[in-house]
Amino acid sequence: MLYALCFLLFMIGLYCAVVKKNMVKIVIGIMVMEYAVNLFLIMLGYRIGGIAPIVGREDIAGADGQLTNLFINGSVDPLPQALVLTAIVISLGSLALMISICIRTYERYGTFDITQIRRLKG
Amino acid sequence: MKGMTIIVKTISSWVKLLIFLFGIYIILFGHLTPGGGFAGGVILASSYILLMLAHGREFVEENLSLPVASKLDCLGAFLFALIAILGLVLGGSFFVNFLYQKYLPGEALNLISAGTIPLSNIAIGLKVGASLFLVILTLSICCKDFKPGTPANGKE
Repeated sequence: MLYALCFLLFMIGLYCAVVKKNMVKIVIGIMVMEYAVNLFLIMLGYRIGGIAPIVGREDIAGADGQLTNLFINGSVDPLPQALVLTAIVISLGSLALMISICIRTYERYGTFDITQIRRLKG
Repeated sequence: MKGMTIIVKTISSWVKLLIFLFGIYIILFGHLTPGGGFAGGVILASSYILLMLAHGREFVEENLSLPVASKLDCLGAFLFALIAILGLVLGGSFFVNFLYQKYLPGEALNLISAGTIPLSNIAIGLKVGASLFLVILTLSICCKDFKPGTPANGKE
C-alpha cells in the first residue's frame, strides 16, 4: 500500500515534468520523481519498530567487540540509507546544473515557457 | 546586493560561529555518530550561505574568494585520492585502512579508533563544503547584471 503511494508520488512528478510548460515547474517535477525513488528505497529497508543502525557503547557485548542480538535483530537496514545519501548528493548536483541552465535560458530568451523557446539565437 | 536589516546582520554574525563549529564537530565525529563528511560539509557551506544572505555577496567574497574556494575544493579531492593511493602503497590494496591495521589500532568507539576514515571524512568535508559554497556563489554571480523581463542581448 505504501509502495503504491510512492508510485503515485513518482507519477505526480512525471506528470509535472511532462505536461507543464514552465521550465521551473519541470525542474520541480524531476526533483519530486527523485524524492519518490529515494522514499521507496528508504521504505524497502524500514522495519516496523526498528532502532537506528548506529552502534553505541551499549550495543557491544563482551570484550571481543561482538554486536548484541538486540541490535542485530532490531536495527533497520543501513544499506539503503547510504545508497540514498549518495543519490541525494547526485540529485543536488543535477539540481544545480538544471537551475543554472534555467537562469541562462531566461537571460537569453526572457521567458521560462518552453513553447516560446524555439529558435537558436547566437 | 546590500544585505538585510541590522537585526539579521547581528544575529547571523553571532550564529555563524556556532554553525561552523557544529559542522567541524559533525565532520570529526563522523565515524562515531550520525553525520560525516557530506553532512558536515553542507553545514560548513550553509554558514557561509547565511553570511551571504545577510551581508551580501561582496562581504563573503572578501572572506573566502572564488579562487580560494576552488583551491579548497581541489585540495579535498586530492586528499581523498591521496589517502586511497596510500592504502594501495602501504597496505597492498586500494582504500585499505593502513593506519588502523599497522600504526593506530585504537579501541572501538573512541575518537582515534578508525584509522584513515576520519581523514577521509575531513577531505570529503572540505570538498563538499567548498563546492556547495561555489555552487551558490556562482549562481548568485550569474544574476549579477540581471534585469528581469528583458533579454540579455536586448534584441526583443
